[in-house]
Amino acid sequence: MIIGYGNELRGEDGFGVEVIRKLQFLTPKDIKLISAFCLTPELILEMLDADEIIFVDACYDEENHYALACSILKNGSNLSHHIQPQILMALMRDVYEKKVDYSIYSMLTCNFEMIEDTQKYYKCIDKVTSFLIV
Amino acid sequence: MKTIIIDPVTRIEGHAKITIDLNEDGSVEDARLHVTQYRGFEKFCEGKIYTDMPALTARTCGICPVSHVISSSKACDTLLSVTPPKAAINIRKIVNLAQIIQSHTLNFYHLSSPDFVYGFDAPKEDRNIFKLMQTHPKMAKDGIELRAFGQKIIESLAGKRIHPTGIIPGGVSNILEIEVKEKLLQEIPRAMKIAQNTLKYFKENLHKFQKEIDSFASFSSLFMAIVGEDGSLEHYDGVLRFIDSEGNILNEAIDPQNYKEFIGEAVEDDSYLKSPYYKPLGYPQGMYRVGALARLNVATKCGTPLADEELKNFKALGRGKPVQNSFYYHYARIIEIIYGLEKIEQLLRDEDTLSENIVARGKINVSRGVGCSEAPRGTLFHDYQVDSNGIIEKVNLIIATGNNNLAMNAGVKQVAKAFIDPANITDGALNRVEAVIRCFDPCLSCSTHALGIVSSQIELRDHHKKIIKIFARN
Repeated sequence: MIIGYGNELRGEDGFGVEVIRKLQFLTPKDIKLISAFCLTPELILEMLDADEIIFVDACYDEENHYALACSILKNGSNLSHHIQPQILMALMRDVYEKKVDYSIYSMLTCNFEMIEDTQKYYKCIDKVTSFLIV
Repeated sequence: MKTIIIDPVTRIEGHAKITIDLNEDGSVEDARLHVTQYRGFEKFCEGKIYTDMPALTARTCGICPVSHVISSSKACDTLLSVTPPKAAINIRKIVNLAQIIQSHTLNFYHLSSPDFVYGFDAPKEDRNIFKLMQTHPKMAKDGIELRAFGQKIIESLAGKRIHPTGIIPGGVSNILEIEVKEKLLQEIPRAMKIAQNTLKYFKENLHKFQKEIDSFASFSSLFMAIVGEDGSLEHYDGVLRFIDSEGNILNEAIDPQNYKEFIGEAVEDDSYLKSPYYKPLGYPQGMYRVGALARLNVATKCGTPLADEELKNFKALGRGKPVQNSFYYHYARIIEIIYGLEKIEQLLRDEDTLSENIVARGKINVSRGVGCSEAPRGTLFHDYQVDSNGIIEKVNLIIATGNNNLAMNAGVKQVAKAFIDPANITDGALNRVEAVIRCFDPCLSCSTHALGIVSSQIELRDHHKKIIKIFARN
């Protein structure tokens, strides 16, 4: 299962959703693709079917724009509908007693209002997409 | 005068702070809720074509976009002077009720249940949904499942869980497939079981919160809601009804198109949230409440068996008058979840809902249209003025949460006076000041049409309004 999340109206925040859009023509049928504005606890019900989960999103970083990173740890949050992959995975493990491997692919950016450099942005999308289909 | 500031206010939708002003002898003199975000939808919608409005205004909120889509589409129906076919109306009603189910579930399980389970004085690190998932996994699973069911209905009938696109001017864009209908009907009994367990849990634990029931925005006020022609609970369409604190009907059947004759909108300089009031009584005496508590106070019946049975118990709390305790918003929301499930089942079983006639076409026939519906948090108005080409010239939005602004402020003040001891400010007391806001389940992102950030702050100010302490709550 690959979950890309973000808001396309907020520029580079939509990175994860763009990757999912591209992957839907390239991935085999046994890989379930989900795009979402944000991660919510209800997603766990779909995640229970997965053997492995990959999260794709944009990650705030003031210095390293358009760098790609894996398993970036972010600050946890107790918000109702803005939660991080680690929290969802912990809930799946503790509440639903299911543990699966997961990883997080992030594009680093500090721009959540617009796409600052279209060329670099789409290059990042291509890179992550290519990496995931391999 | 000293001031306590709660900033940010937590476990609500949106960004707000609370100030608590102390007088010279150190006791609480006043308390106010300040909504500190702004985005200005009413202004930037100007110049857009009316057909864009449902999708555009849905972006006001990620929790209750369906309400905006529905009120917006209804305003557009009026501009076109068309009545959507029955199948379209039924589908709109189902989607609207599904959103009420998922939103009420969000409030109960994700935002408020930690207070019910652990108490208002529990350590703040324990008062969250994640702790609940550790200690009460079944309850947490129930909340996730019930909310997911509401979202599934929205996705199945309107295209997407968030910001659905299937509701359009004149009707809806997709027919209800029989397979979808059958699948949803199969899941209703399970959802109803969860809803009834929720009701049972809430009622069994109510006795623990008598002090909060008595002091959480517990006062006389007017109530406003949409009702059906027979006075029954209604969320999609009907007439506006105001009642007073004795239960007297002030206005029997206001056409929502004429809302401006009865509702004024005041602006305070310390908040981006407008303060609507009942015009005949003036500002601020015309304070009224909306939302689940108001709907059940205003309606004479629900019109579905299980909800009507529970409505009797709810109304008994008021001893012949409207229920004035805002803590019972939680109770009213659970009854509405039960009602929503019953009503959705009725609408799905209605053969007309499967009809392929789902949209009425038209062109701009009038220059002004008002769309009004009951959102999870109360009555929502979309008021558009267009030119002959359908270009938006003026927009006015009255959002459910805004209707409750005066009551929320009065509630914050009441709770601050009851629980805040300036010499010994406990976290439990600050939590209660926030919790009274959570009773109303405000959606500040919606109400100011602003960006949603869930956070809050409480500021303590002296009698010169100088900040002497800030309690960051996030």
